[in-house]
Amino acid sequence: MSSKPKKQEYQASEQEKVSAAVSKAEKEYFDQTYGPLLREMRDLSEREDLGGLARGAAQADTMQALSSRPSLAAARSVDQAADLASAASAQQLQGSAQALGAQRERQIGVLGTARGQAADAQAGLARAAKIQSTKQLEAARAKQMVRQAKFNAAEQIGSALIAQGRKNLDSYGQASEQADTGGFFNRFFTPYTPAQTQSTPSKGGRSG
Amino acid sequence: MALYDNLPLQKNTSVSSLPEVKDPEKVYSDISRQDYENYLSNFRDFEERLISAKDDTSLIEQSREDALKQSQIARGVQQRNVERYGGAGLSAVQQQEQQRAMQRGTQLNLAGNLNTALIQQREVNQRTLADLINIGQGVNRNALQGLGEASSMAANRAAAYNNAKAQHKSNMIGLGGSLAGAALAFFSI
Repeated sequence: MSSKPKKQEYQASEQEKVSAAVSKAEKEYFDQTYGPLLREMRDLSEREDLGGLARGAAQADTMQALSSRPSLAAARSVDQAADLASAASAQQLQGSAQALGAQRERQIGVLGTARGQAADAQAGLARAAKIQSTKQLEAARAKQMVRQAKFNAAEQIGSALIAQGRKNLDSYGQASEQADTGGFFNRFFTPYTPAQTQSTPSKGGRSG
Repeated sequence: MALYDNLPLQKNTSVSSLPEVKDPEKVYSDISRQDYENYLSNFRDFEERLISAKDDTSLIEQSREDALKQSQIARGVQQRNVERYGGAGLSAVQQQEQQRAMQRGTQLNLAGNLNTALIQQREVNQRTLADLINIGQGVNRNALQGLGEASSMAANRAAAYNNAKAQHKSNMIGLGGSLAGAALAFFSI
C-alpha cells in the first residue's frame, strides 16, 4: 500500500515561484508607469485644443497669401473682400475638420487601448473562475472517489461476512442434531467444531 | 535622465529580491478584478462621451461663426486698403456696389461653408462611428467568450454532479442486488 501524500511534494517549484514573482512585479511596474500614461493621453485627447492650432495656422496662411500686399487694384476691386472672406472661411473649416478628425482618432486610440486592457482583465477573471471551478470539480471528484472506495470496501466486507456466515451455518447442518449449537448469531459467526458440542452439553441440558 | 528620476519605479534590480507570491490564484483574481474596476472608474465616462460624439455638430456650428467673422475681417481689410489709398478714387456708387458684393459674398459664403461643414462633420462622425463599432465588436466577442466559459464551467459542474448521482444510484442498486442475492442464497439452505 502506498504512503500518504506529503504536502511538500505538491509545493510550487522554484521556477514557478520566480515566474509568479516576476509577473507580479511586472504588473505593478506596468500599473505604476504605463497606467498613468494612458490616463494622461485620455485627458490630453479631450483637452488639447488641436482645432485652435489648426485654425490659427489656416488663418495665417490665408492672410499671408491674400492680403500681405495691398494694392490700389485690390482696393478698387468690387469682389476682393468677398473672395478673401470666402477663402478664409473655407480654410478655417478645413483646419477645424482636420483637427476634429485627429482628435477623434486619438480618442479612439485611447479607448481601444483601454478596452484592450479591460478585455485582458475580463479574460483574466474568466481564467481565474475556470481555475476555481476546476479545483472544485477535482475536489468533488476526489471526494466521490473516496466515497466509492469506502462503499466498495463495505460491500466486500459485507459479502465476505455473508459468505463466511453461510459457510458457518452449513457446517452446523452437517453436525449432530442433538448437539446444542447455540443461537442463530452464534452459529452464524462461529463455525461448527466437534469440540464445541463436547464442551456445551451442560448448557442446554438437552442431552440429559 | 531627469525624466526617469521622476518615475515611481521599483528599485528591485534582482529577481531574488522580489517578494514571493504566496497565493498566485488570489493575486491573479484580485489583479484582474482591480484592472476591470480601474477601467470602469478611469475610462467608462470617457467612452460614453466618445460614443455621444458620433452626433457631434461642432463643425457645423463653428462654420456659421467662421463665415460671419471672416466677412467682418475681410470688410476691415477692404476698409483699410481703401483708406490707405485715400479713398482709391471710388465713387459713391462704386462704394455701394462694394458693400453689396460683400453682403452677397457673406450670404453665399455662409451657405457654401455650411454645406461643406455638413459633409465634413458627417465624414468625421461616420469614421468615429465605424471605429466605435469596431471596438464594440471586440467587446461583444469578449463578453460572449466569457459567458461561454461560464456556461461551460456550469455544464461541467452539472455533469459531474449528475455522474456522482448516477454512480451513487448504481452503487445502491448493486448493493440491493447483492443483498437480495445473498438473502435468496441464505434462505435456500
